[in-house]
Amino acid sequence: MKITVDLDKCQDHGQCAIAAPVAFRMNDEGNLEYETTVEDSYLDEVEEAADVCPVQAILIGQA
Amino acid sequence: MTITPTAAAPRLAVTDPSFSITSDEVHAAREQSWYAHTEYGLAILRYEEVSKLMKHPKLRQGSAAWPAHNGVTEGPFAEWFDSWILNKEGEEHHRLRRLLNPAFSPKLIGGLVPRFQALAGELIDAFAERGECDFTAEFAEPYAARVIAIMLGLPESEWQMIARESATLGLALGVTLKQDLPQIEEALAKLYAYADGLIADRSANPRDDFMTTLVQAQRDGDRLSSTELRDAIVLLIFGGYDTTRNQLGLAMQTFMQHPDQWDVLAANPALGGQAVEEVMRVNPTVRWVTREAVETFEYQGLLIEAGTTVHLFSESAGTDPRVFGERSFDIEAERKPHYGFGGGAHHCLGHFVARSDMSEALPLLARRLRNPQPLPGATWLADSGNTGPISLPISFTAAP
Ligand code: HEM
Ligand code: SF4
Repeated sequence: MKITVDLDKCQDHGQCAIAAPVAFRMNDEGNLEYETTVEDSYLDEVEEAADVCPVQAILIGQA
Repeated sequence: MTITPTAAAPRLAVTDPSFSITSDEVHAAREQSWYAHTEYGLAILRYEEVSKLMKHPKLRQGSAAWPAHNGVTEGPFAEWFDSWILNKEGEEHHRLRRLLNPAFSPKLIGGLVPRFQALAGELIDAFAERGECDFTAEFAEPYAARVIAIMLGLPESEWQMIARESATLGLALGVTLKQDLPQIEEALAKLYAYADGLIADRSANPRDDFMTTLVQAQRDGDRLSSTELRDAIVLLIFGGYDTTRNQLGLAMQTFMQHPDQWDVLAANPALGGQAVEEVMRVNPTVRWVTREAVETFEYQGLLIEAGTTVHLFSESAGTDPRVFGERSFDIEAERKPHYGFGGGAHHCLGHFVARSDMSEALPLLARRLRNPQPLPGATWLADSGNTGPISLPISFTAAP
């Protein structure tokens, strides 16, 4: 699947990195880094990350 | 980088009983410097710095040592406090958050909206004809408590129990904690018994609801133990009731000062969501969020020593003229996000619920209670850590 984060919206809360560490992580500066493509087997986790993002900045699309 | 001499920063006496965290003094301090010294440590006053430090990797949530600071190191209360997700960090925190998340998904919460609407209508019906009410006792309190009951699947008639026992638990956040401990632990025992009943019921009779989702939550073969579940349920009651009640009271206060905005909301209920955001920007109930430095680090030329307590001032950040311009209250304006729900790893877990129930309640109130005015006799919590009206008598013209 494809992942897009609207970085204008993203506030670096890091909830996505807690829900789906396979795709999202916070760097030493506290800023979000993420994978734009992740295997479909991780769909549940990534959907949960999109769900819990407080500002709803995460979009999941088909690869 | 220029090193700001700490002497240049203002000092705020936040433990002084007359201190107000939304006072001109605090706003003047914000114009002088992005931070101030306090009896506890540092206060962060400007939006950009609050935003950055709220999520800073060198800061952890700063409340864990509260019971110990007040001489309470063992027993049921100390153990419960220690179990709070708020007081966990790192992997331990992430594990709990992952297991609690599914029950709080916006999809699940969305299904409760019709019940929030019906509840708000029922409460307003009960007092509307009188043309006056105590907004706290007759709306904010029962609304907040019954929303928790709806969410947890408790009979709504139990709302007074929720209100009463949470209020008693709230004594734990006061400086008389040690003295109040027997009462607090009695309330805790009652809520534990409730939680145990709920867990047993949903384990035996799963339903399509919040509590079942919570009880069944698993992740990578891991799940919450029954002790973790009951600890979490009681925290959700405690963390969700007071905050929602207070935030609704503060919303009424703000709108009474801005009658034109109340009219805008009444005419356009779709602005409910934005009304909640705008109220929480200028009048948040959680006036500060507490952090503690895990190690010594430098931020904007200021050396923050390990162990320093850092308070992030939400109202001061939300009204920072650098970001929001001149003081105004406008529910139709596009704004940057506020920090009334905190931020970072500990960002409020219940924010979808709180946002959703308040954004249903406010437009309905605006339509039914026309021209609300404060009556004498309001009483208030201190304007620091967590605030709101204890009682808020108002008059209004009832509309259908
Ligand atoms: C208007 C209502 C509410 C406000 C203003 C509010 C505010 C906050 C704030 C500011 C924090 C962060 C504290 C910090 O970082 O130190 C927080 C955390 C939390 N809130 Fe809320 N809250 C509200 C409603 C709720 C509700 C309804 C629930 C649950 C039913 C809830 C459960 C929690 C929990 C469990 C945490 C801790 C999260 C963590 O540590 O990961 N809150 N809340
Ligand atoms: S949870 Fe949302 S706001 Fe937070 S870092 Fe992830 S994408 Fe950004």
